[in-house]
Amino acid sequence: MNALNHIASTLAANPMASNADLNLLERLMLSARSSDYAATHDMVYMVIFWLSVAFFVVVMGPYAYFIVKYRRKPGVPAQRSVSHNTPLELAWSIFPLMLLCVLFFLGFEVFIDGQVAPADAETINVHAKKWNWSLGYDNGALPKSEDYVNLVGTSVPVFAIPAGKPIRLVLESEDVIHSFYVPNFRKKIDVFPNRYTTMWFQAGNAGERHYVFCAEYCGDQHSQMAAMLDTLSPEDYDKWKTDHVLNPKDMFPADYGAFLYKQQGCNACHTVDRAKSAGTGPPWWGIWGRTENIEGGGQITVDENYVRESIYTPAAKIVQGFPNQMNSFQGLIDPEGISAIFAYMQTLSDEGQAKYEKDKAAWEAAKKAAEEAKAAQN
Amino acid sequence: MTTIDASSGGVGAHAGEHHGASYLHRKGGFMVTVWDWATTIDHKKIGVMYMFATTFMFFLGGMFALMVRLELFTPTMTNDAGQIVGQLFANDVYNRMFTLHGVIMVFLFIIPAIPAAFGNFLLPIMLGAKDVAFPRLNLMSWYIYLFGATLAVVALIGGGVDTGWTFYTPYSITGTAMHQQVFLVTLAAFILGFSSIFTGLNFVVTVHKLRAPGMGWFDMPLFVWAIYATSLIQVLATPVLGITVLLLAIEQAFHIGIFDPALGGDPVLYQHFFWFYSHPAVYIMILPGMGIMSELVTVHARKRIFGYKAIAFSSLGIAAVSFIVWGHHLFTAQTAMANAIFSALTFFVAIPSAIKVFNWVATLYKSSIAFTTPMLYALGFMFTFTIGGVTGLFLATIATDINLHDTYFVVAHFHYVMMGGAGIALFGGMHHWWPKMFGKMYNERAGILGFFFVFVGFNTTFFIQFLMGSQGMPRRYATYIPEFEIYHQISTVGSWLLLIGFLIHLANFTHSLLKGPKAPRNPWGGLTLEWTTDSPPIEHNFHHEPVIHHGPYDYDDVVPPFCDEKDFPLPAPLKPGAAKH
Repeated sequence: MNALNHIASTLAANPMASNADLNLLERLMLSARSSDYAATHDMVYMVIFWLSVAFFVVVMGPYAYFIVKYRRKPGVPAQRSVSHNTPLELAWSIFPLMLLCVLFFLGFEVFIDGQVAPADAETINVHAKKWNWSLGYDNGALPKSEDYVNLVGTSVPVFAIPAGKPIRLVLESEDVIHSFYVPNFRKKIDVFPNRYTTMWFQAGNAGERHYVFCAEYCGDQHSQMAAMLDTLSPEDYDKWKTDHVLNPKDMFPADYGAFLYKQQGCNACHTVDRAKSAGTGPPWWGIWGRTENIEGGGQITVDENYVRESIYTPAAKIVQGFPNQMNSFQGLIDPEGISAIFAYMQTLSDEGQAKYEKDKAAWEAAKKAAEEAKAAQN
Repeated sequence: MTTIDASSGGVGAHAGEHHGASYLHRKGGFMVTVWDWATTIDHKKIGVMYMFATTFMFFLGGMFALMVRLELFTPTMTNDAGQIVGQLFANDVYNRMFTLHGVIMVFLFIIPAIPAAFGNFLLPIMLGAKDVAFPRLNLMSWYIYLFGATLAVVALIGGGVDTGWTFYTPYSITGTAMHQQVFLVTLAAFILGFSSIFTGLNFVVTVHKLRAPGMGWFDMPLFVWAIYATSLIQVLATPVLGITVLLLAIEQAFHIGIFDPALGGDPVLYQHFFWFYSHPAVYIMILPGMGIMSELVTVHARKRIFGYKAIAFSSLGIAAVSFIVWGHHLFTAQTAMANAIFSALTFFVAIPSAIKVFNWVATLYKSSIAFTTPMLYALGFMFTFTIGGVTGLFLATIATDINLHDTYFVVAHFHYVMMGGAGIALFGGMHHWWPKMFGKMYNERAGILGFFFVFVGFNTTFFIQFLMGSQGMPRRYATYIPEFEIYHQISTVGSWLLLIGFLIHLANFTHSLLKGPKAPRNPWGGLTLEWTTDSPPIEHNFHHEPVIHHGPYDYDDVVPPFCDEKDFPLPAPLKPGAAKH
């Protein structure tokens, strides 16, 4: 695997939130309960569950009894009994209706309470696209390359959220409808390309990690459009945010390219492993300088011009055997970023890796020397 | 105590008697027979053709379901060497398979299966009519179905549509070349809609105009009531599907923004249009199944149905409410106000459905239950449909739906209602009316064995999906986090049991067609009119026009036609002066 993915994380990784503190029955049906709203929701859920069980027993009890008691015996006729009883029929219509009214109000009450974010909530913007999530913090913080973890055959970003503080998400999509789903918070909202939707939550304990899934079908990598949320103490959260404001000029170009590869969601379709695992787009291992057959005939060599064209106008030249699926990144990746992606692509081969290690060591030594010289000057 | 005149079959020579041969009687060689079937206006032949077509579609759709379950046996993961493992089909292949499964099962199997196959075969006979009101229109419906189904399957398989059966915009109308095939598939749905409308119209008129002399509205079998309610929905709701497809076409052709946000349209508007048809369509799927249930329970428990009118009116009630609950499919997409309204309305659907279940259970009271294959399916239906019903409560309640929306909980719920309800009823009905349709008995033991595989397989496949869904497993996922692996594996094993069950049924029916013993006219002791005619019925259904002297469920007063009172003993007669039910 690419050496870049093995850089140790700066923060200790949180373990996945667990539902071990729920009782056995709840554990069968519910994931970890990680917000106050989740606790209220689970109360409603369990009320419906027990009502359902009661209803099931009321119907299936007599049913089972009748099946055993009134099984056919040769020569014995069915007995006469009434085939209509208005009070009974009214009772079994009206009594459930009253229960259903109670259920409606319970569900409505909890839902509406969960709709309005407190005035002091911190707003985080959520940008969705095929097929990744990105959270936009007020200070521009972004997950670093090392903040990605392997999940469902791809790598997904880990974002930070504060414990015990309300967070309001404002969500929008770049392409199709997605749905932002955090099972541990029992919350979900559809994300549209033509309007903003909002959702809020207040995470419970610090030190837990939560899944974010896409719950509205959005194409090939729908099931791999995931992210993680790490609940940190408010102090750690502030530290995380400061620590994650990115300055590309401080990064080794290939590292910046690797960062963009994940941050822009290239990893949803393009694999970078040595085995060239299949993806929606061409695998990137050994891609630099490779000759590819183009849909509609002809060949190209993967070089600066082809990569730039493929990022800005992806439909221009499609590599044979791959669908025309990619959106343009015009306005999303600047020329500096494009150059960094060239540098990253060049590291994706055995020789490239060796060269990367050597160059990076030299770059770091030079950087350190410059810093020391600067310090000595002061 | 009275019997039906028509049942005298061959005893007296009344005026206007029909001596025709069985409708299955071959009039000549192979080509003559093919031509005879292809141009027939006999509702029975058309019904049988629908039955074979929808059964084929069931196995086709089922095959894709098995492949979907197979892919989900293991999750896709990155191993220590950085390779991606555990993937049987690529994501795009998986997405096409679940789309094929959904479209085929919904539009080509379950919507036409009971109304078009059993409705066609049974509705005129149960009413004592010679045919439906418009036999030629009926044949046209069949050809429209055949054309639409062929177009749909060719477009789906050839074009690789991967949108799911819901075709949500903008995903379905933007992006890649293969999405142009979406238009062909929706066009096929549009064409199939006409077949549905024509059949519905035909049945409505048949019920109104062609009931046998003496048959009032409340003398009709409850299956007829259910088909009648279904037909009303088909006639009223299906045009909306046509409008939706036309709007899609107009948007594509003239670039007028309707659903596409890139043109200024609103994708949620599409969801409203889609569910305004597709929610009533859910009841097109389940109501006929409920109708079959009322027949199976009474015949095989030899008992008057409890609450006839409540069951009949609850069918109409369900049909009416079905039009105003579509918004519960949009709880994560629409305003809080709309959510509140649709959640409240949705709870009303629960009542008429619950009434039916109560009535069927009450019918079993003091009855005489025979554990035949059809009755086992009927009893199975009550079990699975009740689970499908109560889990609907979690989805109608807004707070819990927000968590469960688009998860496997929803998948499990609608499979419990569609497959565990409509599907199970259909298989029961097939066993119940098979002897009447083809004049051959099947092997009862094999039928029962098949039932147990289907019942156990079904519950194994789908019950576990409630648990993983409420724990947060989203639907339409080609892969999943490893935590859910064991759940998916149990579900997949269940799908294999289902396959075994259906193969047993298929073999049993094939054996019955080839070598089955001849069926008597009334093997189960039914009282509705189809049991008064030959097995299989003659071309004009009855030897002479039946006249109704008793209700369809008077099991405590009437020895069933062509049955021996020794085998079908009646309870002691009512004491004089005692109130009659």
